Amino acid sequence: MSGSSLEWFRRGTLGLLMLLMLPASASEPPAPERLREGRIRYALATGDLPEALRHLPGLSGASAPFLRARAWYQAGFRERALAEFQQVLEGPWHRGEAALVLARAALADGDQTSAQDRFEQAARLGPATATQEALYQLAMLALRSGQADQAGDRLARMPEGYWAASGYVNLARHYAEEDLSPTRALVALRVALAMTAKDPLPERAKALRDRILIRSGYLAYRNGDPGKALGFLEQVSLTSTSTPRALYLHGLARMAQGNYRAAMQSWHRARKFPLAYPGAADAWLGMGQGYDRAGYLGQAGEAYLAANAAYESERVTLRTLARDIHDRGAYPALVQAARNDDVEWFLADNRTLQQPRLAYLLDFLEQPEAQQAVAAVARLQGLEQQLIGTSRDLALFAETLARGHGDAGRLPELTARNQTLLERVRAARTQVSATRQGPWFELEQSLVLAAHALNDLSAPAGNGDSRVRIGEYRTLGEAYLRQVSELRRRAEARLDALALDYVNRQDQRMARALGKAEQRIAHLYEYLALETLGEASP
Amino acid sequence: MYGLHSTTRCRRGAWWFAWAAATLISHTGVAASLDDDIESLSAQVNEHLASVRSLERQLLYPTHTRLSVFLSLAERETLDLDAIELFLDDQPVASHLYRNRERSALEAGGVQELYIGNLATGQHRLKAVITARAADKSFVRREAVRSFIKPPGALVVELTVAAPAPDYQPRVTFTEWK
Repeated sequence: MSGSSLEWFRRGTLGLLMLLMLPASASEPPAPERLREGRIRYALATGDLPEALRHLPGLSGASAPFLRARAWYQAGFRERALAEFQQVLEGPWHRGEAALVLARAALADGDQTSAQDRFEQAARLGPATATQEALYQLAMLALRSGQADQAGDRLARMPEGYWAASGYVNLARHYAEEDLSPTRALVALRVALAMTAKDPLPERAKALRDRILIRSGYLAYRNGDPGKALGFLEQVSLTSTSTPRALYLHGLARMAQGNYRAAMQSWHRARKFPLAYPGAADAWLGMGQGYDRAGYLGQAGEAYLAANAAYESERVTLRTLARDIHDRGAYPALVQAARNDDVEWFLADNRTLQQPRLAYLLDFLEQPEAQQAVAAVARLQGLEQQLIGTSRDLALFAETLARGHGDAGRLPELTARNQTLLERVRAARTQVSATRQGPWFELEQSLVLAAHALNDLSAPAGNGDSRVRIGEYRTLGEAYLRQVSELRRRAEARLDALALDYVNRQDQRMARALGKAEQRIAHLYEYLALETLGEASP
Repeated sequence: MYGLHSTTRCRRGAWWFAWAAATLISHTGVAASLDDDIESLSAQVNEHLASVRSLERQLLYPTHTRLSVFLSLAERETLDLDAIELFLDDQPVASHLYRNRERSALEAGGVQELYIGNLATGQHRLKAVITARAADKSFVRREAVRSFIKPPGALVVELTVAAPAPDYQPRVTFTEWK
């Protein structure tokens, strides 16, 4: 066969292959079950719920019911998922994990009896992570009903780690509220401290450890043992949001020992943190008090005036923040503003700790209601963005298919042409030598592929079916987008109300601190005036 | 007189309590209702997005030409993946920097789809470049190459990464699923 006929074959084949970019109706081949299961696990762990749901139909294997229940639960099909978890609990695999989810759901619904039964099952059936959380929850249920001894017994049976440490922290709080002596609370906190060592997540362990040390330090200080308090407080990390509180308490303990200079050094360092963090506002007042006790009355006055100015300035910041929340909404003003970082990575830590707005965001997010409200807005915004993206893609597909629809009438002609080409290529292959088979083989393969695709396009569920489905999905997507936008507005309104309430409370806190500073200044000036009068009188 | 005053005060107190309780209940009710609505709508939207994604893939990657490349870990705690680059016929087609969440997902038995695309039938070459930290804390970079024939129909290639003791050097195994 001549070179020009080979070129002709190539062109014909390419033309057909271009048409093959049109959709094929062939269903996906069944991927190996292990891969599919792994993809669901990966999608669930990375929060890609549509991807997880996409692989559920026809899933089989030992873990299939559990993965199905997890995917449904995370995607929002709560009732369906709980029914499936119940089935898993009655089956041979993943029983402990299913019992834990059912227990959490019962606890959220306020059904303590059922929650307790399920937690008992989860603790018994395992695996280790489920057992630890279940035992912690059982201990907390006992503690809430006033049975501290039973809670202690449960905790004593737990392996070391985060859950055990958290349990002992709560037990210590209970003892601190009940007992006049802090001994039992301090012992519980010491145990908690030891338990954090086995937490596999170092950041979480560090945060919990700091909190435990601060509590221990405070209890020791309140019990009149500043030396022991210092021992705890000096172990607190200097790069966390708990640092200003630790520094303030450290200053108090130093003051109790009569070491005013060291106390002021701690408070001076605490003053460098934003006033949003607990302990920072008190440290400003502490400086004045330190100078006062040390006998430097003039510098005490200056320190109180500086505190006064800091509180006034903070109230201005809070008013600006409140106005911003009111105008733009809490989500852009607080949460998204925190994401816009144009600072180099090596400054990121300092920036996080030093910026007032970020400090307020971190403090605000300590409240569970705030976390829930922010998560709801973020979830809806994510869904909204995905719907907008898919709507754009579907519009493009619809446009492309509409353009390609004009060629649909040519399918019989193209199929016949493809068949002719295929036969000629096969005939040509028989005439060429073995060494020149390569290009002809490739052409034959391409034409076979084209024949498959043309067959798919001719099928009733081919191109036309895709266009119908695209139309349906576009209509459905637009309806969902409207609903999601409406819900997002409601969720944002809830978040705005919570954030404004929080900012108002912070403003009141600053107003109280301002009042205290003014009282101290008044007392100091009164004292100085009386001193001056005393000196002037004969 | 004194008693009447007290009763009025009590009544006022009761009204205040009732108002506060009603406000609290309505606020909690609104919050619960909003969260329920979000849950219900999320479920529907996620299902819709899953259907759209299936259709998109069917349109963009027809079965006859589709090639998918997946990644999984053989031993779950011997390797911390840092990044992966994928080359098809010496052209870069995919790269990924791993976050903690994704590492944990792989360690929990997850399988990541690294690449999906269309490929003509015939001989091809797949190269994966892996940067990771081994269990002995050393940083390693490894290249793995595999030549394969793309047959008519979908082809799935699975890259399984292992770093067995005692040398903890990463090794990549290619598995083809037709």
